[in-house]
Amino acid sequence: MAHQLTRRELLTTAAAATVTATAAGLSGCAPEQRKVAEARVSIVKVPAYDQSVYATMRRMLEEHLGHVRGLRILIKPNLVEFEPASSINTHPMLVHAAYEAFRAMGAAEIHIAEGPGHRRNTLDLAEAAGYFQTVPRFEDVFVDLNLDEVTRLKPDKQFSRIKKLYLPNTALRADLVVSMAKMKTHHWVGATLAMKNLFGVVPSGIYGWPKNVLHWAGIDESIADLHAAFPRQFAIVDGIVGMEGNGPIQGTPKAAGVLVAGRNPVAVDATCCRVMKIDPMQLRYLQLAAGSSDSPVMEENIQQVGESILSVATAFELIPQFQKFRLENS
Amino acid sequence: MSIDLILSKQNRDGGWPYVRGASWTEPTVYAILALLEAGEAAGAQRGLAWLRAKQLPDGGWPPQTGFDESTWVTALVALLPPEQLGEAVHARAIAWLMDTSGQESSAVYRLRMWLLGVPRLPEHEFPGWPWIPGTAAWVGPTSLAMLALEKENQRKPSALIQIRLDEGRRFLLRRMCEGGGWNHGSVRALGYESTPYPETTGMALAALRGVRSAATKNAIEVAEKFLGECRSADALNWLRIGLMAHGRLPGGYNPPVALTCRTLPETSLDWLLGRTQQAGRELFLG
Repeated sequence: MAHQLTRRELLTTAAAATVTATAAGLSGCAPEQRKVAEARVSIVKVPAYDQSVYATMRRMLEEHLGHVRGLRILIKPNLVEFEPASSINTHPMLVHAAYEAFRAMGAAEIHIAEGPGHRRNTLDLAEAAGYFQTVPRFEDVFVDLNLDEVTRLKPDKQFSRIKKLYLPNTALRADLVVSMAKMKTHHWVGATLAMKNLFGVVPSGIYGWPKNVLHWAGIDESIADLHAAFPRQFAIVDGIVGMEGNGPIQGTPKAAGVLVAGRNPVAVDATCCRVMKIDPMQLRYLQLAAGSSDSPVMEENIQQVGESILSVATAFELIPQFQKFRLENS
Repeated sequence: MSIDLILSKQNRDGGWPYVRGASWTEPTVYAILALLEAGEAAGAQRGLAWLRAKQLPDGGWPPQTGFDESTWVTALVALLPPEQLGEAVHARAIAWLMDTSGQESSAVYRLRMWLLGVPRLPEHEFPGWPWIPGTAAWVGPTSLAMLALEKENQRKPSALIQIRLDEGRRFLLRRMCEGGGWNHGSVRALGYESTPYPETTGMALAALRGVRSAATKNAIEVAEKFLGECRSADALNWLRIGLMAHGRLPGGYNPPVALTCRTLPETSLDWLLGRTQQAGRELFLG
């Protein structure tokens, strides 16, 4: 499967590049083409959490990022609850695979970092979720973002009503924030993916458990704020086994058998929604973050590589309040 | 755990970090409590001086110096003996707690909801305390504020404090999970029941000291079950405090030998609990 993917991606990318170059030569619409290129999203079939994820992850990161030599990388998993057998948390093997890939690719500094929103004892949570077992010397590479030093951010553009947004220095210093989310439904916003995962960057040591200040400021708007706060991101969504129904905590496991990844979190999240048979146009935070009409929420503005959405799409069960989010014709 | 470890982690400025790095209010309070219990006056006084210097004009404390607003950690500082912290400094901390409540119980919020035709939720009926002003009340900060006010009420009985304590008790009882115990404070979401956490169950039980009811009986049973299963030092510390408050911590209880205290608050509380358990008294209100 790995060889098939590489060949397919290579061919797709080459074909897209040819079309793009030709179009550029004919029309000279360079800015629009650059936007499309930025919104390249991979869908990779990964049926299980096994050793093959290490090679898959390495290949995917190399294809999207090229070189990362000398960069400071912050890997941000979704670490929520003390239940290793559930599908709440990003699987530790995937996080370790990303860590090892960045190390092999020459990153100068790699941190795994998270600030859980409900449970105060972050390292106990990580241990129970299997991170200590899977990631050697986990405590040395991990940063509890809830208890990190903070800096006040004064954004040029703000969507939420938050008056003072303080963010952890480890995250602000990173050259690349890698949001490694879980593919889950969410009982407030519809779906929680790479963008919503950045809620974990907001320090509970300042704002509390839960980070209720974000709820009062507007959940969708706060997601858009955090997206804007970190312009250098890479998004990886763990849909090998995701969560459907009453997510993000009390739902049931849903095997989608995919990893979805790309540099543009809006495009990655929109693609995940389509994989889950959720209409991304219904997710308000995607609309806020995307902005204009040529936004990477639109399927035609995303350069899809790897598997097609059609070949992997599987309807994630939605609670009644979100039935209206179901993608039509699915 | 030794008191030397706590001393060794003290920063040059007199405060303590959670693990390493800059000083934060929460670990500093717990370390001071441990040092006072151990009779390590010099280290404790340096910590107290750090705290006094960080009090904000409104009487509260920020969680760390990089942030400029008073928050829930004010309740922790108010747990320190006034004669050590300074009577005036302590009094302003108590005043800050008395003036603080969750945004959902403010008149402006209630009026707004009424105008919008949104029915009031049963769990919004009684005011609790928020992590940070301008947001809703939750179980953790409410429990800590109640412990601080209960201690103050024992020292200097006050009808006003008693009112807030009664409201706080009702708040906590409304926020109990269906099967007993507490999580962060969300009983249900969109009709789905939530499940309790060990650490917040211990905290709420500590704050509900003296309350005898079918609900607290359920919660104690949940806490006893957690005590046997839980492997988090933070959670076990709070379960011990909560069960001790109801006289239900098994005699001679010791946490599992392999348990790891990963932060200064965990280390300090574990050490303090060892001492107070041995002496047969409660940690905060004994």
